[in-house]
Amino acid sequence: MSVTEERERKLIEDFVGGRKLFLGPDPEIMSNHDIAVPTERELRAKEVVSDPHLLNLIRSKLLAGTNEAFEMSSQTGACPGARWGDSITCIFTAEGDLAISADGGILIFSVLTQHAVKFIKKYWENDPTVGVREGDAFTHNDARYGNIHNTDQSMMMPIFHEGKLIAWVGCITHVGENGSIEPGGMPITAESPYDEGLRMPPIKIAEDYELKRDLVTFLQNSVRDPKLQVEDMKSKFYACMRLKQRLEDTLSEFGVDAIISVLRRTLEETKAEVQRRITEWPEGTTRSVAFSDGTLRENALLKINLEMTKKGEELILDFRGSSPQFANRSINTQAASLKGMLAQLFLGYIWPDLPRNQAMLAPIKIVLDDKSLLNASDDVPNAQSMMSFFFGYSAGQVNAAKFLYSAQHRYTMILAPWYNMIQCIIYGGITQHSEFVGNLCADLNGMGGGARDGLDGENSIALASCAMSDLGEQELSEEENPFIQIVSKKLMKDNQAFGKYRGGMGYQMMVASRESPFWGFMTCCVGSKFPTISGLFGGYACPAYPLAKVKNVNVFDVLRDDPDSFRWTTEEIMNEQPFKDAQYSTQHMGLAYEQAMDGEIYMVTQGSGGGYGDVLERDPAMVMKDLEDELVSDWTATNIYHVVYDRETFTIDVAATERARQSERESRKKRGVPFKEFVAKWVTDAPAADLPFYGSWDDPTVLFAGGFAGQPHVTMAANAIEPIMLPNPREVEIDRLKAEIESLKARMVK
Amino acid sequence: MKRVSVDVGGTFTDCFVVYEDKQVEAKALTTHHNLAVGFMEAVEQAADVLGLPSVSALLSEVDSVRYATTLGTNALITRSGRAVALLITAGYESAVPLSRGKGYGVGMSPLYKADVASASRPEPLVPISLIRGVKERLDYKGEVLMKLDEDDLRRQIRDLVDRGAQAFVVALVNSVVNPEHEQRVEEVILEEYPSHMLGAIPVILSHLVAGRKGEYVRTTSAIIDAYLHDQMYFALNALEATLRDHGYKRSMLVVHNTGGMAEVNSTHALQTIHSGPVAGVNASEHLANEYELDNIVTTDMGGTSFDIGLVVKGGVKFYDFNPVMDRWMVNVPMIHLVTLGAGGGSIARFDRMYKTIEVGPASAGSDPGPACYDRGGMLPTVTDADLVLGYLDPDFYAGGKVKLNSRRAEFAVRDSLCGPTGLTEIEVAMNIKRRVDANMANAIAEELGTKGYDPKEFTLLAYGGSGPLHCCGIAQALKIDKILVPPFSSVFSALGAGNMHQMHVHESSVYMWIYNARIERLLTDYSTINGVIEELEALGKEDLMRQGFDEDAISYSLEMDMRYGSQLAETSVTSPVQRLNSLEDMMALINMFSEDYGKRYGSGSQSPEAGIRINTIRVLSSVELTTIPLERSLEGTKKKAVSPERTRQCYVPGRKGALDAGVFAVGDLSVGSVIKGPAVIESPRTTCLVEPGWTMTVGPQGSGWINRDEMGAHTPKQRSAASSAGSEMTTRSDT
Repeated sequence: MSVTEERERKLIEDFVGGRKLFLGPDPEIMSNHDIAVPTERELRAKEVVSDPHLLNLIRSKLLAGTNEAFEMSSQTGACPGARWGDSITCIFTAEGDLAISADGGILIFSVLTQHAVKFIKKYWENDPTVGVREGDAFTHNDARYGNIHNTDQSMMMPIFHEGKLIAWVGCITHVGENGSIEPGGMPITAESPYDEGLRMPPIKIAEDYELKRDLVTFLQNSVRDPKLQVEDMKSKFYACMRLKQRLEDTLSEFGVDAIISVLRRTLEETKAEVQRRITEWPEGTTRSVAFSDGTLRENALLKINLEMTKKGEELILDFRGSSPQFANRSINTQAASLKGMLAQLFLGYIWPDLPRNQAMLAPIKIVLDDKSLLNASDDVPNAQSMMSFFFGYSAGQVNAAKFLYSAQHRYTMILAPWYNMIQCIIYGGITQHSEFVGNLCADLNGMGGGARDGLDGENSIALASCAMSDLGEQELSEEENPFIQIVSKKLMKDNQAFGKYRGGMGYQMMVASRESPFWGFMTCCVGSKFPTISGLFGGYACPAYPLAKVKNVNVFDVLRDDPDSFRWTTEEIMNEQPFKDAQYSTQHMGLAYEQAMDGEIYMVTQGSGGGYGDVLERDPAMVMKDLEDELVSDWTATNIYHVVYDRETFTIDVAATERARQSERESRKKRGVPFKEFVAKWVTDAPAADLPFYGSWDDPTVLFAGGFAGQPHVTMAANAIEPIMLPNPREVEIDRLKAEIESLKARMVK
Repeated sequence: MKRVSVDVGGTFTDCFVVYEDKQVEAKALTTHHNLAVGFMEAVEQAADVLGLPSVSALLSEVDSVRYATTLGTNALITRSGRAVALLITAGYESAVPLSRGKGYGVGMSPLYKADVASASRPEPLVPISLIRGVKERLDYKGEVLMKLDEDDLRRQIRDLVDRGAQAFVVALVNSVVNPEHEQRVEEVILEEYPSHMLGAIPVILSHLVAGRKGEYVRTTSAIIDAYLHDQMYFALNALEATLRDHGYKRSMLVVHNTGGMAEVNSTHALQTIHSGPVAGVNASEHLANEYELDNIVTTDMGGTSFDIGLVVKGGVKFYDFNPVMDRWMVNVPMIHLVTLGAGGGSIARFDRMYKTIEVGPASAGSDPGPACYDRGGMLPTVTDADLVLGYLDPDFYAGGKVKLNSRRAEFAVRDSLCGPTGLTEIEVAMNIKRRVDANMANAIAEELGTKGYDPKEFTLLAYGGSGPLHCCGIAQALKIDKILVPPFSSVFSALGAGNMHQMHVHESSVYMWIYNARIERLLTDYSTINGVIEELEALGKEDLMRQGFDEDAISYSLEMDMRYGSQLAETSVTSPVQRLNSLEDMMALINMFSEDYGKRYGSGSQSPEAGIRINTIRVLSSVELTTIPLERSLEGTKKKAVSPERTRQCYVPGRKGALDAGVFAVGDLSVGSVIKGPAVIESPRTTCLVEPGWTMTVGPQGSGWINRDEMGAHTPKQRSAASSAGSEMTTRSDT
């Protein structure tokens, strides 16, 4: 800033004072993932209470209180997210750093809420119209102030001691319905942030330990499910109250210095330990790319580029060269959201023994292009941010595994990428009890685990961002919602990423609505054409998963009148098309909310974790076990794993298997070409003109964008990304049909 | 009264006998190859003490023999059950193998749960190859969406039998609201494999094992029941036969984990799991009545685990409606128990990041056991720390049956922890004790907190091998002032079995809005709700009359599980009336629910605006039996301070340097003896540590009250000072 500019800024500041036009998200807060500089108060407390053994006792007591509050929020929350594990409780320092999180729940929620607490500290604490006082509670949901997306809502409560702010407690939950353009809170058709429903910056929602009725009513009035809104706000508020009580109990026993010291030291010691653990990794750089195959509205290849460098105590994750953001698509992610997911990556899959706080990420440098898909600006929608940051997480999983392979010490197993898409049905409409609801099924928690060094991945085990997440009970869901999972949990044959150790498999689901005056479904995943995760060290990537539908049928009539014609797998229904006059279709998994008539079938499939190692090294006995359990077909056993066996008895012909595998190795050599030849044949300077492609092609400083609906590719510098608007797919389709009509007309005239 | 009660545990078989005015305890090693051997050995010991000529002389005269056990769990752990096949609604074949996703971590430590990269599900009780889909479907109201395909079913059954199925579990979606399909599947199996033929195969229907919705948890309940059925059946029958051979003429009574008991022929295998620890909670409830105590938190600390139970004023019973058995979620009601992996065998380790000492969850168990056992264990455990601190007599552990090696304990502590912490052996040992006590206290606080209770309002009941040794430390951390080492503490669960009443629990899932917020109406369909209650009462009556009770002797208790809107939390409310016939009856239930909810989650947290549902109706049908009178507590007893004949140097957290602790043999103490801490009271089965600031008064029947001194070390300042004793630490108030 020049001297003149500096003078001008000072003059304006003096003139305007605190009356800024709009207190939007603060870049200074949102871009910083380090822990705050210690305050004088913290330094004093650290000096006063320094015994590590005493501090550990206090820490464990606070953690027990956090766990108690988490259990309470799970029990009293009404939304499926809270009930099936998608929530968390936590304690922040007075400055807003996340110091302690519950053992269970979604860590990324609490990591991201630090930004909202810091916003309150910076802007509201000294604002006479707001203030931060004992008995207050604040809430927010807008991802631009620190969140995954606007369907998650927080509750933050300041803790005072003798009139001074000493800490914050929080509870965050995936609530679901939020009044967005589509029911359920995660719209895929949002073209601007104004289509994404509630957009709460941090606001004061309670005073004197009472939720403010007028504001609660305003929020209820803004969503489709006012009952859920109030129930979950209460649940979070009283979970915070319980955690506050536990923190104050601890304070009365050990003194305020002990509390301040333990929160600060927990952060500092975590940061120091992460720095130490980084030194255990070998020096060097690893690289990987991941591709999303769409925007949820159109097919396109969006590149996520990651270069991970370890140097001494430093670990740098450089995502430059990744796809630019989209001005009118909801898949953009805020940088903070990506960082939250990376914290989950390290704490869930690399160092699971570390305490769950934000300092884990503090020593790690993350480099991003401004206005890229992973570092979106505030003026673009982000309701489906997971569609981007999950790729950043998966790329990170691959890069980290390469380091871990030769690291001095490991804290858990090396594994191939976890499946990373929220394969489930999102629903909305009027229930059999005449209530309007909008939410999602707990099946998103059934992602397949990555294969491990020495073990297959576990089938449909957990959401990538939440250990101990729960698939729920279908009988309980059917009581409340007017749709049936005809096929609810049935592992899909061959739905595995192959390898020496295979990925954890996913299950298929078939749903159909029933007895509702108005009901609809939507889905929000990418990866129907191109795998969303890769394998590791020669293991296969996961399969691709389309959405399959059967319309113009009432499956309940079929089950009643002609049950023999029903088929119990997606594959059979789609291949055999057993229902007369029905319409069978497949499409990508970005299904905008669509009205479903009684008995129309929607079929989705949970995905497989990545495979590990060469398929030709898989123990034939493990192949036979999968065959016996009908998890793989004869075709796969023979043509992928190259096992020779008796099809009646599953007895392995060991010698023949070895011959078959050796033969395949020879075939591989024949299929292979020298590297130079490969480069000459495959490497091009730019993406093909008709390939919808977004991101760097080779040079990470130059990005390509275009190739969709006849749009040419444009190039731009990665550090100067230009706006990208995509046409409405419906308009594109209309234009295509019009052109076809014109073409037909022209032919008829001839 | 003449009564025999036995608790068969993993290591010991405990026996408690009432013979007119005499009450006798006995203990024998559990004989896993044939439980009857250990069982009879314990009874023989008791007969000897009573001076009876033979076991038969005892057994031929007793009104009942009662049996509690933990062995069902062991069969699950060792996977020694039979080959169970599962017939489940088609489309749900993978529900059990996937175990709701989180099944990998259920019953495991927080670290195991967090480490999803290494997570592995337990070896299945039913392999995938023995699971088949049944083509049928019911909706949530029980209406048939797809009728049962019997031809396909017969093919599946034959195929499963060919694959080695030895039992069938039938679990069909929504069968609890309409069991017709499950019943028909059973008929088909019996048609294929009739019960009079050698190839007959037992069939377990899920709706008969668990009456509530939740297809996964109900199926798992039925699987465990089937899995354990043979083992429990043969073991219990062998026991009954042995008892009959020794003159016992009646049916043996089996303790249920619901807190009641029944004859063997009215017992599901599933109901016996955890029945030993549940009997301990029952003994505590009996003690609370006899001693007129309001609230008790029970703690049973053994070598590898720490069980917590609750008994509160007003007879409120806490159930787990979705308890965990081994590593499986089930949905049969069970008396609430929390089990931690903390005990004498818990291993202490250095936490490099926080530069402190952490204890557990890893345990040395009993093999190799703590380092001081001298059986090859090299890592320091809680028991090693207790020995280093001087609490245990190396020559009198377990009555001298296990010789402890002090040097080995000191070496383990020194070798693993002194270097990295910079502390002395004594300081390390004190931190181990402080840490394990804090871990257990935190678990109790969390447990009481989630139920809305303040630990300060509770008496801590301490039993189990290590319980009395750590009770003061735990109570100190919880600010509890009263500890009771119960009478007959070494056979406490057997005492509980002796006080059980005959009881059966039947429950049914319902979908009822007792208050519908959308239309603002209360439930008025009295006939439907009363109809369900009548059905459940009839089932309970049938169970009890089958065991020979008169209808008039049976009493019923009605409970409703209620919740606001769509919450997960259900609160069980005991109805003041047995039939609901008015709006006032409904409001009475709602008010009770609201009050309890507010207590648990905070006043004002109630959400009636979301509506209130009844999810489950439960009827407890029972016949009250006579209970064992305990000698009343210390009222009127003359108290006198006693001096020790010898002392031992002990180190206690909170006190610098060694203290001369009085050492007492429990046999030398009489009722009313007052012992001021620091003191160690030794018995052949346990050691009790009375820490400084606490005073013990010996009660009748081996009980002991340990009270915090009026000016005990429980002010913040003193606690801070206490905390610093193990290492240098200073605190000051924030002024």
